[in-house]
Amino acid sequence: MSALLDAVVLDVVVMASSDGPPVWLLAAGPAGAVATYWSLYRYYRNTDKSHAYERDTLIEAQPVQGGREKIDHISKTRKSGIDGKNSGNHRTRVQRVR
Amino acid sequence: MTQDATGDAHAPRDPDAPVFDGPPLSLEEELAAARAEPEPGPDIATVNESLADGVNRCPRCGSTDVRLRGTTGMLICLFCRHEWQEARVEEELGLGEGIDDLRGTVIAGGAQDIAANTADVITLKCGGCGAEVVIDTAHAMNARCHWCRHTLNVNQQLPNGAVPDAVLPFHLTHDEAVEKIREFASKRRLFAHPRFKSEFVPENVLGVYLPYLVIDANAHARYDGVGEVQTRRWTEKSGDDTVTYYAADVFRVDRSVDFTVDDLTVEGSADRASMDGSTTNNIVNTILPFDTKNAVKWNASYLVGFTSEKRDRDVSDLGPVLEDQLLSIGRSQVEQSLAEFDRGVRWEREQLDVGGSRWVSMYLPVWLYSYYQEDTGMLHYIAVNARTGETMGSVPVSQWRLVLAALTVGTFLEGIAGALLVAWS
Repeated sequence: MSALLDAVVLDVVVMASSDGPPVWLLAAGPAGAVATYWSLYRYYRNTDKSHAYERDTLIEAQPVQGGREKIDHISKTRKSGIDGKNSGNHRTRVQRVR
Repeated sequence: MTQDATGDAHAPRDPDAPVFDGPPLSLEEELAAARAEPEPGPDIATVNESLADGVNRCPRCGSTDVRLRGTTGMLICLFCRHEWQEARVEEELGLGEGIDDLRGTVIAGGAQDIAANTADVITLKCGGCGAEVVIDTAHAMNARCHWCRHTLNVNQQLPNGAVPDAVLPFHLTHDEAVEKIREFASKRRLFAHPRFKSEFVPENVLGVYLPYLVIDANAHARYDGVGEVQTRRWTEKSGDDTVTYYAADVFRVDRSVDFTVDDLTVEGSADRASMDGSTTNNIVNTILPFDTKNAVKWNASYLVGFTSEKRDRDVSDLGPVLEDQLLSIGRSQVEQSLAEFDRGVRWEREQLDVGGSRWVSMYLPVWLYSYYQEDTGMLHYIAVNARTGETMGSVPVSQWRLVLAALTVGTFLEGIAGALLVAWS
């Protein structure tokens, strides 16, 4: 077993130092194991479930009002989205204005 | 029939003895008490006057042997088989109407603050034979007189919040609930804890009425934040790699919305409301919502054969919970107006004005199967909504089986990844 591990590690070192294929593929094993554990655990324990009152309650809303004002321009960034995006996390509270 | 609320149900008391109600008041206090305005009643009176004597008689034959017939949702007299039901509170009390016009906090009689001196154990004097029967109202709202077999109910809706305004009768039968629970657990056998599997007896499921507060409200919510719109996307070479870059316009964004909610349902029991990871209360929360529009006026006969849990959270305790849920609902309502911000929106401030709210307390029906896992000290629930049949549960897992499955999948994927790398090189 340890010989097999040594061989794998040696392969990784050799491939990382060359122009070979992407070494990150080796992360598939640990990532798959963790994902399998958590998906099965959640299927059995349902720890993430709760009443979706935002969707399952009778709600009558007037048309949404609002606007936007340009305040800045980002000319070059590697980030594909805004920092701290929370528009989809309805239950995450932000600063409350009284 | 009289109802005597006392904390010590076992101590015999001479009925002719004078009741000690504290030291005598001074003359000024007596005069002030005489001049005092009467205490205001509840905003919405929900007392079922026809049950004031505490004995629920069949309207046709007068028998008190009355219980719920689950398949029809009607009360049935077990003596003459007459069936009837109480009026729906939706129409009777005008709930669901005028939510837009609600101002302030309107509280129905059964949702008043729980009086501190409301004892769990009360003694009912049987209207049939005069015997005294003790009921622990923390778990039940009725009992049978052990002498004459009259069914005695806690009907007296004193403005102390102990008895709810309405009750939603059980619709699913015990057999249907057992089938739902068996089906839920059978899909989760492979990795279930072996002891759970060996001790699983779904026939032990209990029908229980849990206390909830059902809220109508109108509110105005406002959100302020920052949104970004992508203006350009390109790639650049960096050594052997290519890197993707973005350009974006940044906007200050505000949104506001007025909305009403009808029958928002929150837990009335503090034990059930705790949703941290040390309990499985989220399971019972998940089977919401109920068809609360079909709730009927309080009649304890609906509870015969079921257990019940007493409400211990007041409207004032639940104000922050309502505001939190209204803020979440407002956020979900404005989300669809943010499509133009393709890089996303970060909300930074939020504001809520609750124009008005109306609170009604209800008993809602749940079939509850519970399993205590000794090694972790965790109480696992499998709960069935006794109106809609929605089922949710927590099944204790066998950790070593889960780890074995995870290692197997991980090894398999690692093998494929290794093979790909070898083939590539």
